[in-house]
Amino acid sequence: MATLADGAIVSAPPGGRGRWAAIALVAPALLVVGVFFVVPLLLSAVGAFRAPGGGFTLAHFDKSLELYTKDLIFTVAIVALSTLLIALVAILIAGYLTLGENARAVAILRWLYRWPLFIPFVVAGQIMRTFLAKNGMLNHVLIGAGLIEPISAESMLDWRGIVIAFVWKQAPFVTLLLAGAMASLERQHIEAARNLGAPRWRVLIDIVLPQVRGTLLVGLVLSFVTMLSVLSVPLMINPNSPTMITVDVAYRINTFADYAVANALCLLSLLLAAFGAAFYLRHAVQRAEDT
Amino acid sequence: MKFRMLLSVAALGVVTAAPAAAQTTLNVVSAGDQNMVDYVNNYLGPKFEQMNPGVKVRAVGTGPGDSGSQKIYEKLSAQQKAGSATWDVDVAVVHQRGAATMVDEKLLMPYRNDIAAGKLVSRDTAKNALGANVDGYVLPMFHSQIAFAYNPDLVKTPPKSFTELNDWVKKNPKQFGYNGVKGGMSGVGFVMGWVAANSGMGEKLEKGPYDPNAKATIEKSLAGLKDFNQYVVMTPGNAGTLDMLNRGEIAMGPVWVDMFYTWMADGKMNPKVKLALPSPGLPGQPMYYVIPAKAANAALAKKFIDFAESPEVQADGIVKQFNWYPGIDPQYVQSKMEPAAWNKLFTDISPADLSKNGRPFPLSQYFTDIVEGYERVVLK
Repeated sequence: MATLADGAIVSAPPGGRGRWAAIALVAPALLVVGVFFVVPLLLSAVGAFRAPGGGFTLAHFDKSLELYTKDLIFTVAIVALSTLLIALVAILIAGYLTLGENARAVAILRWLYRWPLFIPFVVAGQIMRTFLAKNGMLNHVLIGAGLIEPISAESMLDWRGIVIAFVWKQAPFVTLLLAGAMASLERQHIEAARNLGAPRWRVLIDIVLPQVRGTLLVGLVLSFVTMLSVLSVPLMINPNSPTMITVDVAYRINTFADYAVANALCLLSLLLAAFGAAFYLRHAVQRAEDT
Repeated sequence: MKFRMLLSVAALGVVTAAPAAAQTTLNVVSAGDQNMVDYVNNYLGPKFEQMNPGVKVRAVGTGPGDSGSQKIYEKLSAQQKAGSATWDVDVAVVHQRGAATMVDEKLLMPYRNDIAAGKLVSRDTAKNALGANVDGYVLPMFHSQIAFAYNPDLVKTPPKSFTELNDWVKKNPKQFGYNGVKGGMSGVGFVMGWVAANSGMGEKLEKGPYDPNAKATIEKSLAGLKDFNQYVVMTPGNAGTLDMLNRGEIAMGPVWVDMFYTWMADGKMNPKVKLALPSPGLPGQPMYYVIPAKAANAALAKKFIDFAESPEVQADGIVKQFNWYPGIDPQYVQSKMEPAAWNKLFTDISPADLSKNGRPFPLSQYFTDIVEGYERVVLK
């Protein structure tokens, strides 16, 4: 089955004229990508190594690592944990959508889970700011329900707040991809397993998940890279130390007009993202070879 | 008949063409929070347009904090480097650090002596921006000040000094909150106040000369702040501190006075909360009106600033409606106001306290040393 991701790989048209026409057709798009994306990226990379006098230096990386190593580790930890939780939530929701037997519950869940998809990160950050505060809505509900004592209510506007905001925002995205992939599986496998007496969780883990592994991983990689680049959520929930690297980049520019260290930090987070990109490309190539 | 028709067509042409020909747009670009853009768009602009038919005032905001000024600087600098004959900003409103850089790089036009209101300013900030000489290039639009906001139900007598504050947080852990150095200027200002109070170099930080070897002294005072931080709550931003005060999650924290009064006036603030200015002081800063060196409508820009700095506008707009301290000498403003409205601004912090404990921010080199020192010492 052809999907959007496969669209990029088309067989080259035979003959020279068609080829030139094709190049002419993609030229405007390539130009836009080149001028507005590749060139600034290269300039930023060059800026990370340029000394004030114009020579080559690693001083900006020294400074980045001296001041922000903790934040780099924090960023990786936050994003990795969020990715893990997103996977869990997405599998549970998509699994229920595929294997659930109560038609009404499935319909309600299908309708509900997509909502956060349409909410921008900055709004998610703002919602969490009042929801997770010490005297915020979550604690009020927990206290009202008698689940916690008022004295033990604490603010979750720290790393937990960021993770909750990320999972809340990104899990529907991965679920959407995953549920789509699960829906296109052949039902016979599932039905055969069910007929032989396998409980639903066994069907999910042993039959369904292995077949949609690729889609799940691609969704997670895309979420991973997206979360690495979000500024608004950490800025609104926890801009203090330790915080995410995006906040530090904004801070270097806004407070010191220090583009050099900001560029170095960007390059370091690009390295992190590159792991994801490499993984994504490998998977995409594999898929192209399979089809 | 034909003649009359021709005449009416001509008249119609004049009627429609006249406003178009006389329409001049004055571009005002403002750094700072949204209330600054609102001030120009909703208050100052319409008044100025009414007095000057054919003029349209258009205000654009570039965002809060020094980064807002940085964006204006980058725009002007780009136009300078491109060799443009006229620049598309007529009036800019910038922070002190931005003004210092712009004067240094010849991006601004001296104008204070060209306008009548230039004689009404008295504070040192009209000549000196964080140690840089900006004499003639700037006029303060207003002054703002950082102070402690506290809930008197929980804090009967607020600490009068940083030493008292240090003792207070140890007796009342997690009741004081501030927003660090990455979440807005009220937190930065608190850190500046802490260093000025605990390093013994308060005077030197403000007046210079800059001594790069003072870093060690600064970092020593920041080590005390690291210990202090164990007993406080970090808040998410300037507004975050006010939010947490409102929800009763903290009892005290540093805030911008104008923001505090605006929230109070809008009913967004617990009306019991009060302000206090500890010794030896917390920093405040003006925002400056400046005119770019090659502003397209420089003459009109001067007229606009002259109007904005007039005692009437300062009284009604700056003090009464937007709760800022005036940019020009208060004596010219007070006489234009009802005593009640004037006193409202000084209920918690008296003019005497303000002049004693309202400090400027440190010189920009020291400023950089302190915030970087904070990252090096406190955050690690």
